[in-house]
This record gives sequence, structure tokens and C-alpha cells, in this order.
Amino acid sequence: MSDIPHQNLAVIGHVDHGKSTMVGRLLFETGSVPEHVIEQYREEAEEKGKGGFEFAYVMDNLAEERERGVTIDIAHQEFDTEEYNFTIVDCPGHRDFVKNMITGASQADNAVLVVAADDGVQPQTQEHVFLARTLGIDELIVAVNKMDLVDYDESKYKTVVEEVKQLLQQVRFNVDDAEFIPTSAFEGDNVSEDSENTPWYDGPSLLDALNNLPEPQPPTDAPLRLPIQDVYTISGIGTVPVGRVETGILNTGENVSFQPSDVSGEVKTVEMHHEEVPKAEPGDNVGFNVRGVGKDDIRRGDVCGPAEEPPTVAETFQAQVVVMQHPSVITAGYTPVFHAHTAQVACTIESIDKKIDPSSGEVAEENPDFIQSGDAAVVTVRPQKPLSIESSNEIPELGSFAIRDMGQTVAAGKVLSVNER
Amino acid sequence: MGKVAAKMKVMPQSPEIDLDDLQERLENALPEGAKISRVDREDVAFGLIALFPTVIIPDEAGGTETIEDAFSGVDGVESVGVDEVGRI
Ligand SMILES: Nc1nc2c(ncn2[C@@H]2O[C@H](COP(=O)(O)OP(=O)(O)OP(=O)(O)O)[C@@H](O)[C@H]2O)c(=O)[nH]1
Ligand SMILES: [Mg+2]
Repeated sequence: MSDIPHQNLAVIGHVDHGKSTMVGRLLFETGSVPEHVIEQYREEAEEKGKGGFEFAYVMDNLAEERERGVTIDIAHQEFDTEEYNFTIVDCPGHRDFVKNMITGASQADNAVLVVAADDGVQPQTQEHVFLARTLGIDELIVAVNKMDLVDYDESKYKTVVEEVKQLLQQVRFNVDDAEFIPTSAFEGDNVSEDSENTPWYDGPSLLDALNNLPEPQPPTDAPLRLPIQDVYTISGIGTVPVGRVETGILNTGENVSFQPSDVSGEVKTVEMHHEEVPKAEPGDNVGFNVRGVGKDDIRRGDVCGPAEEPPTVAETFQAQVVVMQHPSVITAGYTPVFHAHTAQVACTIESIDKKIDPSSGEVAEENPDFIQSGDAAVVTVRPQKPLSIESSNEIPELGSFAIRDMGQTVAAGKVLSVNER
Repeated sequence: MGKVAAKMKVMPQSPEIDLDDLQERLENALPEGAKISRVDREDVAFGLIALFPTVIIPDEAGGTETIEDAFSGVDGVESVGVDEVGRI
């Protein structure tokens, strides 16, 4: 498409706080609502003898269009500004989708958190903020929305800003990295232009803040990490592992190692879209073959990396987790399934090291007996089968996980440090 | 609550699998309440082609597990993953 850089943006927030309306408003203000949707509205409005532009109408029809599968990328929406081509994902509310957000293909670079001014911080606000943190989101733009419902009252705005700041501290999000904007997605205040209704606010509009985001850097400097999705035997070629490059570069002729299977060999050919390519970069879906590596030597859940800087295999690891839903309490010895990249491995929570106080972000209790829904904690984890996973400080793309049990996502977390096998 | 679109990635067991037939089997395996809104294909490598069915499910259905399980059990499927999820 265009030469402007790309940004993946997540829109997060509590139910009904105005996420979808904000996405629709952004599409509308940037001229990205398909012409025929607006045209269709004009026609219907004329028939019924109504004038003026009805934003809500366009909102409804956008969703309907998308559901019919007219656009390729139904799960995402796109709009362009002067600075960026944005892909925007309106995050599902249900907790069980958290696993998908963590293991999915296009992880968000930055996020817009929508908090309704008349409702303040709510449970899903908290969950989504932690999720954003876990996903490695760098910058958060906080839209204090529905300002029209509180008569654009500055003190109401400030109260909500304070609530959100407390929440950010709780999950150790740098408050300085967050921008706060009073908005009305419905009326359009401070979305693309400074609103007259908030004379007390002199910060940027939402679109300005989006344009001011730093350009995402593809993780090409990190060592190669390519989680294996499937392993095939292709006649005439041999063993072909398939997967997506998460970080670094896969080069032909390079010696690579598969962990935890612990085999290595030289990359002979790499194919992408059925064409031979000399190398593959982050985001590329590839198949490749490796000299001397057989189909039964490697498996789904292995990670491919350079032989001289092989993927880390954990004996144990320490992680920060947030318990999202658990019917009772989690104690040491609990062994649910951890989903990290393409791996699914049963892991035992060997010890609960610290519980974090939600209001201050400080350690509330050392070695607590248990944690439960809503708690944030630092835990030590022992995989029951070999697992390749990285510290999120070093390679964030390979450092997060979802914890599932009883058909639910019970918690999500990120790796703080790995004790190597 | 609204609806969620999940772009699933289905890998066939081999390049020889007939993708039209496979697509039909996936449609027939869909759990109740879910529907396929479109299916895209992408050339991967060495003759392997990935199918990307976009499935629409209610947000309150909670997660893609039932779809993943249903698709995994379909004849000719090597693996099932979820590429993207988002509210529509
Ligand atoms: N007055 C006012 N109403 C708003 C504003 N933004 C959204 N709304 C209304 O709030 C309701 C919820 O808005 P949505 O955009 O659907 O909220 P959401 O966060 O996407 O909700 P879920 O997807 O169900 O979690 C709708 O009736 C909107 O019209 C706003 O800025 N002002
Ligand atoms: Mg919504």
C-alpha cells in the first residue's frame, strides 16, 4: 500500500465504555468508512426525510458489513493518518480470548484504553490493562470517554485520571508513558480536533496522540526465534518445519538449533508464499528444511534459533501473573496447562513468592499461602515437560503465556527470569 | 455483548489434501452458534496451502476452544491455530 509506517493498535476497556464507538469514530474522522456505507445512509435518510449525519447508523452498518465477510480482515479495521497506517483491533471482552491475544499473530504495538468518565475504572479495565502490559505494549493512550455525560466536568475527568494512574502503578506500567485525553466518542470531542467543550484541557487530540506514537521497531536485532507450528515430510524435499518468525532473521546456510528437542543442522532452503527466499523476517510465515533433521527429531512447540544462541529451555522460571478467574484459590503445587507460543505444557506452580498490593503496586505479602481471582503475584514455575521460553526482558515475543485449566483461561503472565536447564 | 471474528489458521496434513473438500468438512464440523463468514487461502511453502476460515462467534461464547477442538477433529487437518481475534 503506502510507504507510511505501520502500527498495530489495540482498543481496550470495560464493557460499554465506548470502545467500538471510538473505533467507528476514528474510522469516520479519518475518512476510512467505506463510501458505500455512507452513501447507503444518505439514501435511506432521504427516503425517510431525515437530514444530517447519523453516526450511530454508520456504526451499526459497519458491523453488519464486516460480518458478511465483505472485507478480508474482519477481525481488524484499518485507517490511515498522516503518520501511520493503523490496524486496529477492538479487543473481545471475554476472558477466554486472552489466550488468543497472547498467542495470536499480530500483537499490538500500542493501545488505546477507553474509560467512561461516568463509570471510572472497572474490572475489565483492570484486566485489559494487565493484558496490555503482558503483551508488551509500550505506550498507552487513555481516552477518558463519555465526557458529554458528565457535562465535560474537569474534576470528574481528574478523578478518573487518578484512578487509572493507580491501576497503571499496580501493574508497573510507567505512568509517564501514558497520555490522558478527555473524549466523547459519540459527539466527537477531542478525537480529531480540540474540543470547545473542554477549555481546561490543552493536551493533544486522540488522533494527534496516535500520530505522536513512536514508530514500532521490528525485532530484527534480537536472536532468531521461530516457534514450530507443524512438521511435514514433503516428497523430494524431506523434513519441512513450518512456523512464523517471531524475532531475528532466518538465513539459509545458517546453523540452527531446535529446542527443547535439542537437534541442530544447517538451513538449506526457505520458502515463503511458495517462493524460495534467502531469508525470513519477523512476521513471515515460512517452511524450510534443515540438513540432517528428520520428521521425528522435532515437533510442534519447539523453537528454532541460531545454534550459537539457542532458544532457552527452562528448568524453572519466575513469572508475574494475574489471576483472571479461578473458582477457588491457587496454591503451590497447582499444575495447569501453560500456553506459550506454539507450546502447550503442563507446569507446576512450585511456589508463590510474592503477592502484589493492587492499590500501591508494592509487595503486599511475601510467600503467601494462596492467590485468587484478581490477584497479581510473582510465582516460580516448573514445566513438567521440557519447555522453551524466554525472559520477557530479553525477548518479550517469547516471554508471555496464558494459563488454562478446566476449559478456561485462569491467568496470564510474563516471564521475569529463566533458570536454564 | 457483541460478536467476535476469529481468523483461524488450518494446516492440511499434506499438500495433496483437496482443499475444497477440506473446507466443506470444516463447515460441517462447526459448533452451533458459530458461523464461517469467509475462507481465505495462503500459499505457505513447498506446496502447502493454509486455510484461514474467519469464524463469527458471540463474545459471551468465550474463547475459540470449541472451534479449535471441532476443527482439529476434521479429517485431513494437521493443526489448528488462531491467527487473530477481534470484535466486529
Ligand atoms: N454519551 C455518550 N455515549 C457513548 C459514548 N461512547 C459510547 N457511547 C454509548 O455507550 C454505549 C456503549 O458503546 P460501545 O461503543 O458499544 O461500547 P463498547 O465499549 O464497545 O462496549 P462492548 O463492546 O459491549 O464492551 C453505546 O450506547 C454508545 O452509543 C460517548 O462518548 N458519549
Ligand atoms: Mg464494542
